[in-house]
Amino acid sequence: METNKTKWGLAGASVPIMLWTLIPIVWIVATSLKSTTALADQQQNVFGNFWPKSISWDNYSLIFTGGAKDLFVPALWHSIVVCLVATLISVVLATFCAYAIARLDFPGKKAILITALTVSFFPVIAMVTPLFNLWRILHLFDTLPGLIIPYITLTLPLSIWILSAFFQQIPWEMEQAAQVDGASSWQAFVKVVAPLAAPGVFTTAIIAFFTAWNDFVFSSNLTAARAQTVPAALNSFTGASQFTQPTGAICAAAVVVTIPVVILVLLFQRRIVAGLTSGAVKG
Amino acid sequence: MTTASLDPTGAVEASTAPPGADPETKRRARREGWKRRLPLMPAFVFVIIMTQLPFLATIFISFSNWTAFSGNKGFAGLDNFKTVFQDSDARSAVVTTIELTLLVVLISLVLGIVIALLLDRTFRGRGIVRTMMIAPFLIVPEAAALVWKHALFNVQSGLINGSITQFYNWFGLKNPPQPDWITSHPLGTIVTALVWQWTPFMMLIMLAGLQGRPMDIIEAAQVDGANTWQIFTKMTLPHMRRYIELAGLLGAIYIVQNFEYVYTITSGGQNTANLPYYIQQTFFAGTGEYGVASAAGVVVVIGTIVIATFALRTVLTVLKEES
Repeated sequence: METNKTKWGLAGASVPIMLWTLIPIVWIVATSLKSTTALADQQQNVFGNFWPKSISWDNYSLIFTGGAKDLFVPALWHSIVVCLVATLISVVLATFCAYAIARLDFPGKKAILITALTVSFFPVIAMVTPLFNLWRILHLFDTLPGLIIPYITLTLPLSIWILSAFFQQIPWEMEQAAQVDGASSWQAFVKVVAPLAAPGVFTTAIIAFFTAWNDFVFSSNLTAARAQTVPAALNSFTGASQFTQPTGAICAAAVVVTIPVVILVLLFQRRIVAGLTSGAVKG
Repeated sequence: MTTASLDPTGAVEASTAPPGADPETKRRARREGWKRRLPLMPAFVFVIIMTQLPFLATIFISFSNWTAFSGNKGFAGLDNFKTVFQDSDARSAVVTTIELTLLVVLISLVLGIVIALLLDRTFRGRGIVRTMMIAPFLIVPEAAALVWKHALFNVQSGLINGSITQFYNWFGLKNPPQPDWITSHPLGTIVTALVWQWTPFMMLIMLAGLQGRPMDIIEAAQVDGANTWQIFTKMTLPHMRRYIELAGLLGAIYIVQNFEYVYTITSGGQNTANLPYYIQQTFFAGTGEYGVASAAGVVVVIGTIVIATFALRTVLTVLKEES
């Protein structure tokens, strides 16, 4: 039904949009691969200063073994530990919760789901200020548990909401069918329910991890030096010397912290998109 | 994804006793019900404690005369709220928050619809293109904000000024303009960076909406001679209304809260401080006005609840329509 004219019009419209979306990303990668001299000298780059003639790993060694090592490497570990622990706890709690919601009809079920949704809209900045005082009294300020707890708060309501939507699609009759066929309820759960529920739980875990991984408000305000995660540490990056811009190091760090997310999304894209829009719209 | 109804509230009534069962079965079913409801408790208690208690603490502090400098000096009545509404910085933060949210949501929504329409057709490499279009959303927001500041808007080494120079060179023009974007358009730079990151989010919801279009009716309209534009305005847009509302409200809820872009790109300079930034600064900088910061926090929560109520209504209507 489409005329050639429409087709070319659409192609023409998509080019600027693609450029607008993608060029900054390619530029981040390009900048991270420029040596300190190439960052300042046009002659060492091609495409009008865009891509370096020779790829240099200077910026990556700067953040992993060089001057920014003490800032970046511990922060990366903190990010990984804090986000994994928080994700694990909130997904386990959310699984129980969503299982109960999906399997039971009881008064107040809708209220619980609506509370979960409302709470996930709660402005984090309003939580940071009271927590700051409380955490200092409890000696949780600038500690890993001091970040794990708020990250559970951040991810738990979201996980409950997404998992409830996933569990809704599971054909629960199969659990009973297995029991009728002589399986114990534990066997029915392990052999029938768990394999069906696993993809949903896994997707929820990825989205929860992504949410915690991206947080800046909690990590920049509830930590000082000993428990900083990557987003907060990035902010204190400086260049190789006091007078150089930290651009190269920032781009390298941005690439490093984005890679795990990109890998997860590339591997599980379909499910994640369904999860992100689930409970909200039909995926 | 082909899915059945995603309404999480429509439970499978597998565990409840059938009507007309004998009292013993009913009682057992009820006991079983409680046993099954028990797993809800840890998660629920945690969420309540962690979100409601800080909020109660915020309300409490917002009525007290408390600064980091002088300690807690007792009840302050509505003074802190008065300060929030009379302080010119706070008022400007409210205006900035509204401007920022509206601009980012509207622009990224329009772009998201356009991209979704472009991607909602079959062509070679569609999967790859779609993945690439999601990419900005995957970058850690703080890293994205820093990259925009240092690698894109930078006067000397930034991509934007570099591209301008390159274009001038290609056409043999001299003296390309090299504006200092962050100083000359502080809010514009924040909006640009945020739109870049949030467009993929809008696109995802729009794509989900487009896939739910009644294709048979659209094809019938095409047969009857409706052109592309007519189909878009008369059929696609009305169908997409709910999804547009939903994406807009969800986006608004997150962008109202945005802190890192303002903090990183302009540090709230030149009237770009939004409410989250104002709260953070009031709380942590200077004499540490805990009372005033908390009062502003209460204002943000109330504002968010208002937006969230609309969002919730939309979400629930979409769910109802789907099921």
